[in-house]
Amino acid sequence: MSGLLQDLFPLVWSGMITGCLYALGALGLVMIFKCSKVVNFSHGNVAGFAAFLIYGFSSGVLLELSWGAAVLLTILAVIAIAFLTYAIVSPLVFESDLTATIATLGIGLIAQGATLLIFGADIVSLDLPVPRFSTAVLGLRITGYDLTVLAVAVVTIGALFFVIDFTKLGIAFRAISENPFAAEVCGLNLRSVHLFAWIVAAILGVVGALLIVPTTFLSVTTVAAFMLQAFAAAVIGGFASLPGALVGGILVGVLMNLFTFYVSPEYSSTFLLGLILLALNIFPNGILARVEGFRV
Amino acid sequence: MSDQNATLGLSSVDRSGLRGMVSARVGTWLLIAIALCLPMVVGGSWVFALGVCFANAIGVLSVSVLVRYGGEVSIGHTFFSAVGAYTVAILDTRYGIPLWFSVPLALAFGVVAGILFAWPSRRLSGIYLAVSTLALALAVPEIINNADSLTGGYEGLYVSKPLVPGVKMSLQRYYAALAVLLAVTYGLSRLRHSRQGLTLLLAKSHPAAADAFGTRRVWARIAVMGISGGIAALCGAMLAFAGSTVSPSGFTFWAAIFLLVGSVVSVYGLTFPRALIGGAFLTLIPQFLSASGAWIPVLYGVALLGVILAGHYLPQLTQAMGRRKGGA
Repeated sequence: MSGLLQDLFPLVWSGMITGCLYALGALGLVMIFKCSKVVNFSHGNVAGFAAFLIYGFSSGVLLELSWGAAVLLTILAVIAIAFLTYAIVSPLVFESDLTATIATLGIGLIAQGATLLIFGADIVSLDLPVPRFSTAVLGLRITGYDLTVLAVAVVTIGALFFVIDFTKLGIAFRAISENPFAAEVCGLNLRSVHLFAWIVAAILGVVGALLIVPTTFLSVTTVAAFMLQAFAAAVIGGFASLPGALVGGILVGVLMNLFTFYVSPEYSSTFLLGLILLALNIFPNGILARVEGFRV
Repeated sequence: MSDQNATLGLSSVDRSGLRGMVSARVGTWLLIAIALCLPMVVGGSWVFALGVCFANAIGVLSVSVLVRYGGEVSIGHTFFSAVGAYTVAILDTRYGIPLWFSVPLALAFGVVAGILFAWPSRRLSGIYLAVSTLALALAVPEIINNADSLTGGYEGLYVSKPLVPGVKMSLQRYYAALAVLLAVTYGLSRLRHSRQGLTLLLAKSHPAAADAFGTRRVWARIAVMGISGGIAALCGAMLAFAGSTVSPSGFTFWAAIFLLVGSVVSVYGLTFPRALIGGAFLTLIPQFLSASGAWIPVLYGVALLGVILAGHYLPQLTQAMGRRKGGA
């Protein structure tokens, strides 16, 4: 029994850490979906491209900058990409959200191809400049990386929720997600709020990518694959709820960890499929949705 | 009375529209004739590539059917094509059963797989369904790799049993794929005029009206997914036979997205020429760009965006042109 607990506790802890990262990715997807009703399939590929840009700017492949400058430059580049993406997608958004969603797949393909063209198919490593230490608390090994992830996630998500709850921009964002037509009648500019969501989502994607890469390595597919768990997190959270995305991310992180440890590491994608189908059937509007009546 | 109205309406159909329909039909027959004669003209590697192209065209059709009749987008159709491909390959290599039996079986399995997936996802639509098909696509390579005692794992299986003994194998691969593609397009053109097809279209465009006529949406969804899954399985079966090998690398997440790209590029068309456009896009472009593989996703992405944006802007442009002409 104590052996089980001994395994369980660290598994849940590390699941929570990766879950925070999934939540960062999922929050970006949900922000875009909430206001423009588009699922951004290019999210993972653009974030992967951004991780490669940071590598390129800091390692001398493209430029030789310090880590911080490289991140800053990359974030500028990502904002430009988000701007461009929205410029392409926006005329479609008001016509059919499904068409716009397919268009984001096209952008994802281009980002993937651009990564391959510029950086090749090699595997590189990209580390975070974090203090390397580890302590043991209650039999739990906590590393500097864990704390960094936790701190960054809490600060980023806290800032996001603050902006959305208390600033004028956040109120505009919520109004547009609630009822775009009424919001436009009241004089809000749909496009600028959409653009805000796309840019914030892109930055969240970069942060998530930066934090996930040290645990594995950086190749064309790592970040895209990571974002797929973020998709699962967003779906479980209901795809239209920011707190839901957060809970969904942590849930996916913990459950995946438990599944790979206790059942089988080889069937993790299949497990994810089952989880998504189950979640969509039992909680079609997400785990945090209020139970509401239907009007027929 | 209503019959009379209908005939009256028909007689007043624009002549040019009728002529366009006739010429389109002639064009299709011409294309079929060319496809039938092509192996006599072109070399071996082209025959092989065209066979795979026909197989991919079937896959493009399976995605387009779902869009046209179900109004849904799938990025997970490699699951169903993998079902078909491995049915053929496993029956061929493990049990020595030729294509005559394995293709109908693959079709049946594909339909069953489509229905099995449609049931838990019956209430999902739009992006929710798209995301769950995405999860489906992700699970495919993993399942294939882990069932390696049956599927051969990473290395895959080699399909070598001839369909008709004594005929050159390369020609068999070509004509089998072409025949199935033609059968599928014929079946789809019949479906369009059938009672069932019209019911499905009604359920898609006017769900409430379909409900009133006794067609439940859930039934319509499951039927469409069954049809689409079956066609995708035929695509897989032909990919296995025409391409001679099956391996998990042919059924990745990207392959599923490429099927959707092909479907969009063919503007979701269900006719033979349109399917060929989609199939050619998926097969021949990688053939041409094999030296510089990284350009393939870029090109696919640009083509996808190009077609979608053209679909968005062209009607506006022609309208603007028409207005200018009318004004002048």
